[in-house]
Amino acid sequence: MAATIDPITLQVINGALQTIAEEMGHVLYRMSFSSIIRESQDLGAGLFDTDFNTLCESESTPLHIGSLPGYLAGIKETLQDGEWHDGDLVIHNHPYHGSSHSPDIAVVVPVFHEGALVGFSANTAHHVDIGAATPGLIIDIPDVFAEGMLFAGTKLYERGKRNEALWSYIGRNSRAARQLQDDLDAQIASARLGARRFAELMDRYGRQVILDATKQLMDYTERVLRQRIAAIPDGEYRAEGFLDDDGKNRDVRLPIKVCVRVKGDGIEIDLTGSSKQVETAFNVPFDGSTKVACFCAIRSLLLDAATSDVKVPSNQGSFRPVTVTAPKGSIYNPIYPAAAEARFAQCNRVIDLIYKALAPVLPNDIIAGSSASLSFCSYAGIRPSGDYWVFLEVNEGSYGGRPRADGPDCIDNLMANTRNNPIEDLAMHLPMICDRYELRDDVMPGAGRSRGGIGVVKAQRVLTDAFITHENERHFDVPWGIFGGKPGQVGKVEIYNVGRPSDVKHMPAKFSGLRVAAGDVHVFYAPCGGGFGDPLERPATQVLDDVLDGFCTVDHASAAYGVVVDATAEKVDETATQALRERMRAGASSAPPLSPHVEVAAAAPARRAPEPSRLTSRSGLSPLRERPLRPATGADIPAAPAAEHRDRPLTELIRGLREAYGEAWSFEVLEHSTTKDAVEVIGQLRANGTSVRESAAAGRGNGASRGELLQRAADESLRKCVETLMHDQR
Amino acid sequence: MARVGVDVGGTNTDLVLEADHGVFVHKVASTPHDQSEGVLKGLRELCDIAGVSPADVSLIVHGTTVATNITIEHNGAEVGMLTTRNFRDILHIGRHKRPYNFSLHFEVPWQKRPLVKRRNRVAVSERILPPDGKVEIPLNETEVLEATRLFKRRGIKSVVVGFLFSFLNDAHERRAAEIVRAEMPDAYICTSSEVANVIREYERFSTAAMNGFVGPKTSLYLENLQQKLIDNGFRANLRVIQSNGGIATVETCSQKAVGILMSGPAGGVIGGRAEGLLCGRSNLITVDIGGTSADISTIPDGRIKIMNARDSYVSGHPILVPMIDLVSIGAGGGSIAYIDSAGGFHVGPRSAGAEPGPACYGKGGEEPTVTDAQVVLGRLDADKMLGGDLPLDPDLAYKAVERKVAKPLGLSPVEAALGIIKVINSNMALAIRSNSVARGIDPREFALVPFGGAGPLHGVALAEAISAKDIIVPVAPGITAAMGLLQTDMQYEHARSLIVSLRHADQAALERINAVIDELVGQCRRDLEKDGVPAGRQKFQRLAECRYHGQGFELRAQLPEARLTASNVADVVANFHQQHRLDYGYHFDDGEVELITVRVIGSEDVAPLKVARIDKAEGSDISGAFLYSRATTFDDGQSVETPRYDRNRLRAGQRVAGPAILIQHNSTTLLPPGYTAAVAEFGNLHVYRGA
Repeated sequence: MAATIDPITLQVINGALQTIAEEMGHVLYRMSFSSIIRESQDLGAGLFDTDFNTLCESESTPLHIGSLPGYLAGIKETLQDGEWHDGDLVIHNHPYHGSSHSPDIAVVVPVFHEGALVGFSANTAHHVDIGAATPGLIIDIPDVFAEGMLFAGTKLYERGKRNEALWSYIGRNSRAARQLQDDLDAQIASARLGARRFAELMDRYGRQVILDATKQLMDYTERVLRQRIAAIPDGEYRAEGFLDDDGKNRDVRLPIKVCVRVKGDGIEIDLTGSSKQVETAFNVPFDGSTKVACFCAIRSLLLDAATSDVKVPSNQGSFRPVTVTAPKGSIYNPIYPAAAEARFAQCNRVIDLIYKALAPVLPNDIIAGSSASLSFCSYAGIRPSGDYWVFLEVNEGSYGGRPRADGPDCIDNLMANTRNNPIEDLAMHLPMICDRYELRDDVMPGAGRSRGGIGVVKAQRVLTDAFITHENERHFDVPWGIFGGKPGQVGKVEIYNVGRPSDVKHMPAKFSGLRVAAGDVHVFYAPCGGGFGDPLERPATQVLDDVLDGFCTVDHASAAYGVVVDATAEKVDETATQALRERMRAGASSAPPLSPHVEVAAAAPARRAPEPSRLTSRSGLSPLRERPLRPATGADIPAAPAAEHRDRPLTELIRGLREAYGEAWSFEVLEHSTTKDAVEVIGQLRANGTSVRESAAAGRGNGASRGELLQRAADESLRKCVETLMHDQR
Repeated sequence: MARVGVDVGGTNTDLVLEADHGVFVHKVASTPHDQSEGVLKGLRELCDIAGVSPADVSLIVHGTTVATNITIEHNGAEVGMLTTRNFRDILHIGRHKRPYNFSLHFEVPWQKRPLVKRRNRVAVSERILPPDGKVEIPLNETEVLEATRLFKRRGIKSVVVGFLFSFLNDAHERRAAEIVRAEMPDAYICTSSEVANVIREYERFSTAAMNGFVGPKTSLYLENLQQKLIDNGFRANLRVIQSNGGIATVETCSQKAVGILMSGPAGGVIGGRAEGLLCGRSNLITVDIGGTSADISTIPDGRIKIMNARDSYVSGHPILVPMIDLVSIGAGGGSIAYIDSAGGFHVGPRSAGAEPGPACYGKGGEEPTVTDAQVVLGRLDADKMLGGDLPLDPDLAYKAVERKVAKPLGLSPVEAALGIIKVINSNMALAIRSNSVARGIDPREFALVPFGGAGPLHGVALAEAISAKDIIVPVAPGITAAMGLLQTDMQYEHARSLIVSLRHADQAALERINAVIDELVGQCRRDLEKDGVPAGRQKFQRLAECRYHGQGFELRAQLPEARLTASNVADVVANFHQQHRLDYGYHFDDGEVELITVRVIGSEDVAPLKVARIDKAEGSDISGAFLYSRATTFDDGQSVETPRYDRNRLRAGQRVAGPAILIQHNSTTLLPPGYTAAVAEFGNLHVYRGA
């Protein structure tokens, strides 16, 4: 039984632990050589107890935060000699033994205090090249062995002595061997520093006091998170989306299904029903990445660092209330020896869909659909000296509109949080030059009371022949709008040669090992976020500001927002705006009336739902003009049987729709008021201007939770919409 | 003749006047709506106190938060910007990293409060290519003219020009600025290469944009102050302390307002350093504790460190201007102690500020603060705050601590107050460690210099927590920052990026470096000459900002006074290795060292403040300074009857043994049992463990 440490000492030790983690992270990114670590800060560092609980972690990149316990468990399975000695140092990156993915090599140092093993000091960092099938990044590879060097419980140092054979082996098995070794050196310095500080802390306060305090600090963090979870009504909340393809089988879309089960003060993320594992590296290691993504989603939503006045210690307690389920053999829990390196976009999509699922019960906390993808580029070539150069670049995304603010533009999204590499620095050091880096102006982001964020366009030109691998997503599944907000925009990728700029090749989102010629320009357009709330409620002055700043065109202002702007005078035409907005509202209210709302006897919702007024005001089909109909893309999806719609699973109905109309339709879940627990789902088929509005009410439950009732109602109304749309089309 | 230092803080404006007949200090309330009012009032009153005529003041050195406040309140100029076509949004994208890892409802400062609105960022055709600055697309002057017409139509009066690769070739930036100047002769105009001639487009543009944003108002303030001084009979030269600790003319600070963004805390670091040097100590850690924050700086070997450019941010915007290396944390007398909903105990960073202030101020504050805890522990006497000018209500302090902390934690109010002090000291100690131990500095060789009104109450506890060697309490801790203003040099810096591998540097490359050094020395010399500094008193420091090839951050290495040659390049490389070792704990002997930026600092030594020696003690008897005794609780929880001494009546050479409290008008020094304070010859206290 651990002694209780008083709150004052606890706070003092908490501060000391956080400082150690920060110091470890600081040393690692300042000392490292590759830009992916030092600029992008694609790293994580912290201290762990002997049960592999995270005691503290540096503020670096979210995907690394929470992954190290998985590594430590994997090391236990594979540890060379089976036991730890003072002076040992292990490197580990095996995705089937807990790693996040193979380029993220962990460096782990055991911490001994007065002869006893008391914990671990560890860090992870993304390495530029570990000798995989293609330089830097990989996608279309057959199995995990094509990912490059795999280390499992491997001791680089035994009792303080470096294994020179291993070191020399590493030095000859990477296209960027010097960087790899120097970056490992930085990791080693950081891990050793952490170990020293941890032992010093025990010297100072006593080992037992520190161990007891860390337990209490984990309990504290857990308690805070559980309080927040308990405030969400119990229930199952679901959302779905799909991924473009696996990087090889271009016609197969990959479904993602998220079910968030809230029960009391615990939460389960269940990914059952998502795509089965794929034959490329586009799988997600379960312990090191799938789980970490879910932790990140819940922490960002419920322990929002910007709005909480208390900084909750970053430790194992933040993972405990969250359980994650993904069936073996699925894309989120692949079976050996499937490759599983290119896993980021899938993680980000899970996070995004968790927010969508929770929209009915947390309408003031969730945000609309974000880019929720990742553009991770590897550029590589051979120098005149015969050496390789490899450059990894993380491109930014955009956020969905938010209850109280627009979605930020051109910024790392959800679980990504890296720094871009200065384009001047790039051009001074590598045979590359950036030709364009600014906001997209070819499309408008999702309209809404809060608009979606605008994606980036980045054009990188190679000055010599080169290889490009692009781990990227989201050319088909449009970021969703919510509560009347409009959908955002998908991304696109183009390649052209600087000598023939009009000869543009349209690329799929992801491709690997593409050979390009000197002068080829690779252009990435990021997806734009969806809108939040009714665009007609966006203050006209704000729309004017957007027009003046070029975030919105004059046409889009009137079509999506009903705001008439005189661009020359830089003014809103108030009278015309009022008239247009009234017309647009009238158009919307001619839709079928809502089903009567039914009171639900359920736990009082934790947070205030959007104003009821938003229910009745929405624009008609204005976005139709700017969004050209996309050709049907679902050739691979089996035709929906013509049987009774009612008995078919919703997803099948939706597949049928997709097959018939491509992406030219959308559904929005519209309303969940606090007193009348009704769900309304509006379907829009943009192919022929059809707008269907169907709603269903969540009835009184027979033992079902409020969330379940809402979910049923949503399914019901969605089904009606699909049926009507399909029927109308015939 | 007399010299005056004027330091404007959030609450008070502190002044120090040095005349032949002594040093005089004064404090007046700050006037945030127009700082110059408080400055002028303080100056006039201080002249009266010192018996000096305004006309006899020869130099006024000013520390001001004017520029900083513009960034905090975001009420600077509407700025227009000309930038390279296809790169309009460098300022909007920034480094594309969110301010928080785990958050959905975060703000993005550079998007939410841009220094230049997108509508006023106009992209024009021009392109300069790396690596040599060759012009690929000439500047389209018609587009520049069109942009100026747009700016004029929008009433814009501040314009910045920021083109890519201008650090390699600034011709386009200069030409564009020339066109704008011809069209808009009254506008405030600057180019990115003038303001920060270094590589990294976002940081350089951001620095220029910040200059355009704060420049017009800052220069208006400075010129207005100068005029008011003249109107009131002052004929002194007005100088301003810059973020790097050097002082400069009003003209320079008006043109490069971005250089005085951290003017506020700079005086404190210099003042703290001067106090240490007075006591013959050069390894110093200064801790300036105010109401809401504590500024901490490490000074190894008497050298003030400059912050790594990677870390120099102001209000969320990166600023590539040398700033004194200090960490600022939300810990001060006004920091609030509270228990959160899950039972966690916290002190700060939220602060009660000046309004309502700590509970004991009796201005409606109900939450317990660090100051309240000090009152509960009997360390701050209610009738002695600011010499009795600010009476405190101990009951209110006691009640606040009891209700908000003691009861919920099941502690006595005294235990709770001790807890508040323990946590705030721990927070400050961790910040000190991160600015010292984490940078390869061993605090056991350092003296801690605590100042600011509340500093000396925490000095001994902090020194213990970080294992500092001892403590030096300044002569006038409440006014140390103002005194620092009279302890620094006239200083100008110029820099230029040119990227050269020092390992592969051939004769031509060395000549290129030498040419840049000459050019930068020339620029500094012209600046100093403009200030009337004779050639004999001009000093130049030459620095090479280097990194290992592939790294992202530079560290400063010394360049030789003589020309750089094939033989002395090795010294520069060795110096860089050493610096790397100091900052990161190791270096790479075989690493390829790359020079990124050459920097020259031109300065003139200004005569330091002559702090008068205090009278030598006749004997060791300190009863003449004894005031009274009261019960006081120390960190070990023991409550002891503790004597109070009037610090002004202590004499050089005398020693006070703890437990004791030393009171002076602007500060209170806590001397726990087991510690001794020795009064040094200038009146500073040298506090150490033992007798």
